[in-house]
Amino acid sequence: MRIDVDNLSFGYDYRTVLNNISFSIESGDFLVIVGQNGSGKSTLVKCLLGINRVPNGKIFLNGIEINNFNKWINIGYVPQKFDDFNYEFPITVNEILNVTKLTKADEDEKLQVMDELGILKLQNENINTLSGGQMQRVFIARALMNRPSLLILDEPTVGVDQDNTDRFYKVVNDLNNKGVTIMLISHDLDSSKANFSHAMWLKNGEASMKNISEVALRGNE
Amino acid sequence: MMDMEPFILASSFIRALIEREFMQLALITGIFMGFLAPLIGAFVVIKRLSLIADTLSHFSLAGLAIGMYFINILSLPIGDPLYIGMIFGIIGALLIEVLRGYYRNYKEISMPIVISIGTALSALFISLSGGFNSSVYNYLFGSILTVGRNFVIIISAVTLLVLALVIIFYKKIVIVSFDEAYARLLGISVRKFQIVSTILLGIIVSLAIETVGVLLVGSLMIIPVATAMKVGRSFKSTLALAIAFSEAAVILGLWFSYIFSIPSGATIVLFNIAILVGVIILKKFIFSRSLKEKQS
Repeated sequence: MRIDVDNLSFGYDYRTVLNNISFSIESGDFLVIVGQNGSGKSTLVKCLLGINRVPNGKIFLNGIEINNFNKWINIGYVPQKFDDFNYEFPITVNEILNVTKLTKADEDEKLQVMDELGILKLQNENINTLSGGQMQRVFIARALMNRPSLLILDEPTVGVDQDNTDRFYKVVNDLNNKGVTIMLISHDLDSSKANFSHAMWLKNGEASMKNISEVALRGNE
Repeated sequence: MMDMEPFILASSFIRALIEREFMQLALITGIFMGFLAPLIGAFVVIKRLSLIADTLSHFSLAGLAIGMYFINILSLPIGDPLYIGMIFGIIGALLIEVLRGYYRNYKEISMPIVISIGTALSALFISLSGGFNSSVYNYLFGSILTVGRNFVIIISAVTLLVLALVIIFYKKIVIVSFDEAYARLLGISVRKFQIVSTILLGIIVSLAIETVGVLLVGSLMIIPVATAMKVGRSFKSTLALAIAFSEAAVILGLWFSYIFSIPSGATIVLFNIAILVGVIILKKFIFSRSLKEKQS
């Protein structure tokens, strides 16, 4: 999915969070957005998901103005831990993934995705008893139920151990190799094992973007 | 002889249920409310809006007080203050939604504002309609033993409506409750869901006032859910347990209030609390025992 953002500014009440941000990514790109807490990363994600309403002409998804866009089902979203999802109330993995018929995937595909992500055995477990890594894979599975052409991942590896982080990036890199556009929000580019094509830094609501050849942070990778 | 007492008490309660219409109406009302309150309460708890029931009950009381004023002072033929209470329940619910949108970063501010309006209007119209009387006492603390057939018809209809909506839209309701952002991606109209569920909540709260009263409505909705959360593993089992705990409290509460001539609303809520405490203690006991077994 192609994304074009053109001079986007966004704020809450009197506080400007995003200041004249512009960038474009092509279908199949892998963009990492890096920034400290409060730099506007999650606000930008909320704008791209249509949760924060933006003026016309600022964001285009596949060339369609976001306020006219209705193919949301083509976007997969993995929320930041403890942010958007209401945890603590008992709910099993199966109940969270009980979304077939509302999404493109059927029951068989759901089980296949769960198997690939290694969470099939956790089906009947309460989400609150899972480790950070397991929980993250459940939400990736849910995002994949949409067979997304764009996958947005908000700080996906916070609180996840190294093994599971490596496993997580393998899944994400594989998806990108299959043509899925990825947008990964992170506070730390160095620790990310993502095979990204573009990186964007957000600081005080202002963005600077580079493609992989300019980043030169990846060492031997 | 002492051992026989519970059986004698139970049999007199059952006899009253068979012979007296007011007991039958109270039991039917209690069972429907015992089902509705935790069902809707679960979704309220998930959304972290536990105080919304108390807020709406105070606002609904203003409607009841205005209804009393219309009937007692202006002699308007509106039938039952309950209808105005229900309308106020809905208005209060929508008002909370509007205020939550207005104070995006301090959404809880909406609650004290709406409680204040409700309490002030209640005090004003209770005073204008002749001051504190037995009707006001019943609104505050509930009067399940005095509900009429009309009320039972209304609560049956609301229960059926809510049950049908929950069954038809179950998947969507669960998604919207747990994760609005994801619901949006699936094309679910979160706003429509919020408005419908808020209106239903307003209606249920105003009906619950008849059962346990303004001051205890919140506990009827929240405590059984809080208890079930401690032992439920899945969402469905937690919902089922909450309803089971709530029904147990309603039946035990009605039974004890009849036998000992004590207020029914308070007794039902106290049983809800007793079940909560019992479950917490039992869980601690079982947890510490299994921990010891693991260590040894």
